[in-house]
Amino acid sequence: MTAWQRARDRRAPLFLLPALVLLGAFVVVPLLRAVAWSFTNADLLAVSHARFVGAENYTSLLGDPRFRRAFGNTAVFALLVVPIQTVVAFFLALWVNRPERAWRWLRTVFFIPVVISMPVLAILWTMLYQPAEAGHMGLVNAILTAVGIAPRAWLSDPQLALPAIAAMSVWQGLGLQMMVFLAGLQHVPRELLEAARIDGAGPWQRVWHVVLPSLRNTIIFVVTVTTILAFRLFVQPYLMTHGGPDDHTRSVVQSIYETTFLDQDLGRACAAALLFLLAVAVITALQRWLSREQRA
Amino acid sequence: MKPLLRWLLSLAVAALFLAPLLWMLLASFRDEAHIFAFSRSTWLSPAGWTLHNYADAWRRAALGQAFLVSLAQVTVIAAGGLLLNAMAAYAFARCAFRGRDLLFAVVVGLIILPVEVLAVPMFFTVRDLGLLGEPWRAFGGLTLPFVVKAFNIYFLRQHFLAVPTALEEAAALEGAGIWRQFWHVGLPSIRPALATVAVLDLLTHWGDFLWPLLVGTRESTRTVQIGLANLFTQPPIQWGAILACSVLATLPVIALFRVLQRFIVVTDTGAGIK
Repeated sequence: MTAWQRARDRRAPLFLLPALVLLGAFVVVPLLRAVAWSFTNADLLAVSHARFVGAENYTSLLGDPRFRRAFGNTAVFALLVVPIQTVVAFFLALWVNRPERAWRWLRTVFFIPVVISMPVLAILWTMLYQPAEAGHMGLVNAILTAVGIAPRAWLSDPQLALPAIAAMSVWQGLGLQMMVFLAGLQHVPRELLEAARIDGAGPWQRVWHVVLPSLRNTIIFVVTVTTILAFRLFVQPYLMTHGGPDDHTRSVVQSIYETTFLDQDLGRACAAALLFLLAVAVITALQRWLSREQRA
Repeated sequence: MKPLLRWLLSLAVAALFLAPLLWMLLASFRDEAHIFAFSRSTWLSPAGWTLHNYADAWRRAALGQAFLVSLAQVTVIAAGGLLLNAMAAYAFARCAFRGRDLLFAVVVGLIILPVEVLAVPMFFTVRDLGLLGEPWRAFGGLTLPFVVKAFNIYFLRQHFLAVPTALEEAAALEGAGIWRQFWHVGLPSIRPALATVAVLDLLTHWGDFLWPLLVGTRESTRTVQIGLANLFTQPPIQWGAILACSVLATLPVIALFRVLQRFIVVTDTGAGIK
């Protein structure tokens, strides 16, 4: 090793220190504190008086119908959004995957909602979903009325509120998944598509037998990322329905937030956050495992 | 399918897809009585159009102050993040030291932690550090926790590893120390990756909601999104002002779009956005 390399290596701590201090203070320490508090009865206003209670927070959370409901809502939301968004984004990517300039412009169109801030879009869609009242209504009901479908109270109907929020979220996130699929499509071997065409495979057969298998890891990546994003659901129900009607759209994150600041039950909120983290970790591990399979 | 037909279908789908945003823009210029009116005559007649919504939004949401706070917030996070994340990434990519691989594995392990998990205990850390309260400290509480990101360190390190080290070696032989190697040779060689990280940071934090809701609700540190949410939740509800505020909150994002389009082109060629 040369002298200048040794000199460079000696300076490494200086380069790492600022980042590591901030990561430690704002990520590692909070994580460790969350773990510690989750086994206590820590109160928001009297953290220092916390008493060790074992796994009580976890067991009571798992038996709490309101928390289970929030977890169920979040899971249903993910089950609605992930398949629809993935399938639509995939076909959209196939559709716009053409070299001419105009198609690039079209891709940009589908990407616009991805970059607009979620609070703006949640508030906008609350207005779009406005029920019909005295001849006034939101754009969604106006379009439905125009084609002869009766208007509905989308966000205050217990059956419709969560699907309505899911529909809005699909619209918002579609463009990102489309871009990931487009990037993946550039790696589909052209010779293989050409060979399939020569062998007489139609467009559907080519998608099924050539495109889908070569996009395997892209699909796993998209599904995983979308699922994790779906689990982080918070802004849309918080602003559009406040978790209502009757807790039908209350998400896990909202329940963590309310347990902390409304119930002031810090220990329990930390336990809920760690259960949430566990779900995210399991999904990530599943993705790693599924994508590795193919490489072996 | 015929190309023309394909185009017409695409245009129809695109128009429907953008309808919510077009409505937002148009309705922001409508007076309160006309925003939710959809009879054919109302949108074509010259009556019912106004600019007052923008003045109302600006005043009621204190947008002058809120824009300053939001712009300062995203600038500090993105610029500070570029420097500190890139420095750490450079050390991980170029320097040999004991425990490097273990330390890097720990950093990578932190990537999956969503802010939602950490927000509550992070709030206490920020409080214990005295970063709540009066303006400058509260601004620190708004920004400091998000400057360094495990993912950005990982992402930039991969890019440092992908560029040849010959130029840096040449600089070192000319007598450049690690700082000059990093600043004059390393950083410029991964410029596209730096732009990607900066744009993503700017967009993400411009839309921040949960964290500013916890620490930044005082007027002196109120962001644009919180100002908008307040218009939406605090009576009297003025839909026109809410729409105008939404349009204004979206303008900086559109301004970033030029940069972003270059970023989209990069993904076209398969460089990937992971």
